[in-house]
Amino acid sequence: MSDVRTRNESAWLLPNDGTRTNHALRQDMRCFADGDELDLLVVGCGAGGSVLLQRLARAGWKVAALEAGPFWDPDTDWVSDEAGSHHLYWTQPRVISGSDPVPLGSNNSGRGVGGSMVHYAGYTPRFHPSDFRILTQDGVGADWPIDYDDLRSYYQEIEEELPVAGEKWPWGDPHSYPYRPHPVGGNGELFLRGADKLGITAKVGPVAIVNGRFGNRPHCIYRGFCLQGCKVNAKASPLITHIPDALAHGAEVRPDCMVTRVEVDERTGRATGVHYVRDGVPRFQKARMVAIAGYSIETPRLLLNSASKRFPDGLCNDFDQVGRYLMVQGAPQTAGRFDAEVRMYKSPPPEVSCEDFYETDPAKPYQRGFSIQTVSPLPITWAEHVAAQGHWGAALREYMSDYVHWSCLGALCEFLPQAGNRVTLAEETDRHGLPVANFSYSQCENDTNLMKAAQSVMEDILHAAGADEVITIDRYAHLVGGARMAADERHGVVDAGCRTFAVPNLYITDGSVLPTQGSANPALTIMAVTARAADRLIGAAGCVST
Amino acid sequence: MSGAAPRERFPGFDVLAQRRHWDPVTTGVVLSRAGMAPDIRFFTPAEQAAATALCGQLLDQHGEATVPVVNLIDARLAEKQTDGWHYHDMPEDSQAWRFTLAALDSDAEDRYGTRFAACAPEQQTPLIQAVQDLGADTWHGLPAEQVWSLWTRYACTAFYSHPSAWNEMGFPGPAYPRGYKNPGVGAREPFEVRDARPAADPARGQR
Repeated sequence: MSDVRTRNESAWLLPNDGTRTNHALRQDMRCFADGDELDLLVVGCGAGGSVLLQRLARAGWKVAALEAGPFWDPDTDWVSDEAGSHHLYWTQPRVISGSDPVPLGSNNSGRGVGGSMVHYAGYTPRFHPSDFRILTQDGVGADWPIDYDDLRSYYQEIEEELPVAGEKWPWGDPHSYPYRPHPVGGNGELFLRGADKLGITAKVGPVAIVNGRFGNRPHCIYRGFCLQGCKVNAKASPLITHIPDALAHGAEVRPDCMVTRVEVDERTGRATGVHYVRDGVPRFQKARMVAIAGYSIETPRLLLNSASKRFPDGLCNDFDQVGRYLMVQGAPQTAGRFDAEVRMYKSPPPEVSCEDFYETDPAKPYQRGFSIQTVSPLPITWAEHVAAQGHWGAALREYMSDYVHWSCLGALCEFLPQAGNRVTLAEETDRHGLPVANFSYSQCENDTNLMKAAQSVMEDILHAAGADEVITIDRYAHLVGGARMAADERHGVVDAGCRTFAVPNLYITDGSVLPTQGSANPALTIMAVTARAADRLIGAAGCVST
Repeated sequence: MSGAAPRERFPGFDVLAQRRHWDPVTTGVVLSRAGMAPDIRFFTPAEQAAATALCGQLLDQHGEATVPVVNLIDARLAEKQTDGWHYHDMPEDSQAWRFTLAALDSDAEDRYGTRFAACAPEQQTPLIQAVQDLGADTWHGLPAEQVWSLWTRYACTAFYSHPSAWNEMGFPGPAYPRGYKNPGVGAREPFEVRDARPAADPARGQR
């Protein structure tokens, strides 16, 4: 094992008595006054915001994070139940539009400390080196202003901090993981069997779920409720991987605070802090620097809602880049029926992955590709699969009673960044009177082709494993982009270090800065990009206050 | 509850019999759902009647419903526990429910001269089927496929949140802090019950 504890002590700051929260750490947390000028204020406490907070706190910065949702306690706030987990999702009003509108809420939007990683499955693959150059190499999408090599060491760091379990990874930049792969359940077993028959490579992992023990975090108990928040503390989320260490180094996390506007001084052109609402009271927190980490819908919305005389079309929106190039991954899920009992709810939904189809295949009529992973939906989600086949009434009940016989795979198709896929402000307002986001999405032909190709491969794998019937539901997963990183201000909102082009002391450190998405689940890359930005901030400023 | 066939598959399986192995917070959530149904607060009596008939059809629950689906939907709408988002060409969920239930009554009046809930089940079925069959076309000015999605999403979420629905599919429900020790194809925990009709593939009959 590496020196991870000397860099991030979070796992050792959690209790080891069977409870999951270090209450003393929260009670003794440093608390700043609104009038204290923070060195840096973070908006949002998910994958990006939490890593930034932890890194800067360690470097001695005076930092706080405002989070719109609660400061979770897994023991009391989360349940081992699908319907009872509704409060994990961002369910404030939003409008969805376009020719292929993307449902939000439970599918891709988190709230509270830990963000969407509280309810992500736990897959943490790296991007491939090719992902950073798809415009040059494949003639589509965009190039990043950084390369894979710029992120490699940060990928390694974060993989140790989560920590990630998996087999030796043969795809992209081949690498290994700090923890051994988990044993697989019925669903993973069938994926491996089908892939093997077809000569397709499938590997166990990579999942940010403890296999063994890590600090005071226990081994996974294979209960299958990863998407409902891990009550075990086995699956990584920033709530347990970065926030404890941040608090121990003097950071404040202020939950239940909705940020409404970033203030920029008209004369200096610099951000001076943020307006927020706590307990119904409008407040203003002063800060010397601000980092927005509200993810791909709320970050653009906050920028657009922060319009001013200097920025009449929205903060940092001089070149109409804010909210654009927002991406989801096409995520069709194909299920296969076996006479044997699979009982896919036993074991974490994330078990086995395949990246054989990730890169552009010149023989295919589309650019870029897709990955395939086990998904293992629980009953309510499984009912969506069955209802999507058109079944209702007695037929629906009959299908549902067959649940234990089904195995389910999901694909992540690399949908391309398009300017028209974007967040704008709707006429509708939320309870604070702020315009809500209108998220418009339309697929291009390449996107549609990838969906079909991925479905066909998943059907082949399941048939090869012995399925006698397959069904598919078309859906989407993940969000990235919306305030992308670019070489200059005419092509994006932030530079390679996540600093906005328009306001020199304003940063964006979340998934919205990603210019492309590959076929990889984005959490690890969001954390790695943020860790790199944090390093550069610390390097530029040194220890700014003590 | 009708749908006799599904109930025969896991004889003797009872999710609630394992509740002493659940954590207290989850136990509270599941038992309250399995207990007395919450009072109707959102739907008007007319809407409640139409919703009861509609959900009875969608989930094949007729007469004395085992899962109080309408009460569970009503509770979500009363407490604004929706998913938040809505399609740009649909109203937000609670208004969409009111509007579409009234539209079902209107269709029933046009065809049978009475409200939807007063129609016989065999009269209700074609009215519902017609909405599903419209697909991307509009129904009373709303995109029919989104209406269908709204109905089935709420109805299935309510029904399959209930332990009696888990019993008929062999799903053991909450699994903390015990977890599972025997994952794998064909493997079972001591408290799981083997499917008595493993070849009863619902898809097979339809090919």
